[in-house]
Amino acid sequence: MTDRLDRDWIVDTPDAHVLLSSDGTVLGWEGAAQQLFGYTAEEALGTKYAELVAPPDRQGELERFLSDTRERGQAGLETLRRRKDGNLIFVVLSGRRIDGGDRIVLSEKDVTELKVRRDGRALEQRFGEFLESTPDGLVISNSTGHVLVANSQAERLFGYGPGELRARLVDDLLPERFRRSHLGHRNRYFEQPRTRAMGNGLELYGLRKDGTEFPVEISLSPLRSEDSVVVISAIRDVSERRNFEQALQGKNLELENANRAKDRFLASMSHELRTPLNAVIGFTGTLLMKLPGDINDEQTHQLQLIRSSARHLLALINDLLNLAKIEAGKMDLQHEVVDCSALVDEVAATLRPQAVTKGLSFELALPPEPETFVTDRRALSQILINLMNNAIKFTERGYVRVGLSVEDFGGQRRLSVVVEDSGPGIRQDELATLFEPFVQGQASRNKGGEGTGLGLHLSRKLAAMLDGTLTCTSEPGVGSSFTLVLPEM
Amino acid sequence: MTATILIAEDHMPSLELMRYLLKANGYRTLVAEDGATAIAMARLERPDLIVCDLQMPGLNGYEVLNALRADPTLKGVRMIAVTAFSMLGDRERVLTAGFDGYFSKPIEAETFVEQMEPFLPVELRAPRGQSS
Repeated sequence: MTDRLDRDWIVDTPDAHVLLSSDGTVLGWEGAAQQLFGYTAEEALGTKYAELVAPPDRQGELERFLSDTRERGQAGLETLRRRKDGNLIFVVLSGRRIDGGDRIVLSEKDVTELKVRRDGRALEQRFGEFLESTPDGLVISNSTGHVLVANSQAERLFGYGPGELRARLVDDLLPERFRRSHLGHRNRYFEQPRTRAMGNGLELYGLRKDGTEFPVEISLSPLRSEDSVVVISAIRDVSERRNFEQALQGKNLELENANRAKDRFLASMSHELRTPLNAVIGFTGTLLMKLPGDINDEQTHQLQLIRSSARHLLALINDLLNLAKIEAGKMDLQHEVVDCSALVDEVAATLRPQAVTKGLSFELALPPEPETFVTDRRALSQILINLMNNAIKFTERGYVRVGLSVEDFGGQRRLSVVVEDSGPGIRQDELATLFEPFVQGQASRNKGGEGTGLGLHLSRKLAAMLDGTLTCTSEPGVGSSFTLVLPEM
Repeated sequence: MTATILIAEDHMPSLELMRYLLKANGYRTLVAEDGATAIAMARLERPDLIVCDLQMPGLNGYEVLNALRADPTLKGVRMIAVTAFSMLGDRERVLTAGFDGYFSKPIEAETFVEQMEPFLPVELRAPRGQSS
């Protein structure tokens, strides 16, 4: 009867009782051993005790403790144990040699909570003031995953009352779905503690007492004392920033979509406007070629008017779409090494026939050597075409001169192109609005509005895109001079 | 013998214009008003050259190109894109896709045939002056 009671009493003890052979093999697994370590007797019996329950860095310590016990008959120690589930606990163990030294009986008591409270009080005494002095939530926790101490900012952040966080599991502060991986992260951190951000690049969340979550940013720093390492987590609620980022991202996406829609619209508009012009210009051509049959002079004249009007419309479409692209910031600038003399030469060659037909002197003043300059070839050539074309178009007698030079302005190379003509000139009051869209000077109106009214506007936009300037000086009755200045890209 | 040229184009006035110009220069023409017809006709008639619009109902010009390039019996046939897509980068896109030539609309009646002929073997080009 007494025996029976005694046995029940031992089974119900809150401590683990373990019997080890002389080489540290588990022979008995009693008391609260299963509860404490998580292993059943079946799992534990026959294994090496040190390998089963000691964290990797504590195995030597356990071996020493066992040999101490064998030598001196008994010994005691406070240390860490690793449970089957990976969690660490603090234990106080005492060992006693039995059977003349062959075997050792150990009894281990879980003192985690006691130690957590004790360490927490010690930390609070040492650092309490410092903890309260920062705007971030600070939580100091240990390798068993317990909060030792938290400042009031952290308590507010997580919705706990004063002192309520102390001795809680850190896991209580993070959403369920992060807990499993957190244990591994924590164990690895304590193996190699260093200052770093937690979960770099990951979105981390905190869990409030009321079950709600909030996005956090956490940085970790180890704090070493003589016998252990704890970690300080500085926790910041980034809800506001996260919301802001999300809103910004949404806006960016919206803008991108709008831009893409605009691009598509421009492309289809260009396509749709050109398609009917294909038939207009094409069939006017076949008629003028007299492919279907002869036509008289008046018919020829009228067809030519149709065709030049259609071409004018086409030029307008091109200019407008180019302008739309520039305005939308959709012109991608290419950085190219351009031989500017050669480019002027090329453009001049395509326009020379017109100048020759009108009996104009078309003079190029180009440097003798190739003049290379880094810029966007397409934009530059577009400006050159516009300027030279205008000069030839509006000059009835005399000359068109194109000059080019590259100079160094305090380490910055600059390209200047001057296009001069002996045309009718531009009145002072017209000069002011010359570069505005759809503004044409008197000379242009006299020519029956041949141009699109966009050429100079477009040219100046292109020049501005290249960080350059396009200016004009003119004297009515004498001529005009357009100067393009571009800095090297 | 002069070449047979297939024109794939869904815009009727443009189709008629190109057909008229080619016929006036002595070429035999075939026409297709959509991509699928163009592919079927190319397989059936084996034209010497295909002049192809890009934006067509059903299969577009690029899809016609890919289908015909994948057909071993038609691999050698030259294809020219004639398109109203003539914004920046369109020429490069067309040539990179594998078209042999790129003409932008509007085409010029005076020069269209002349510009197209280099894509034909010399013996299949129409003798000059035959336009009637």
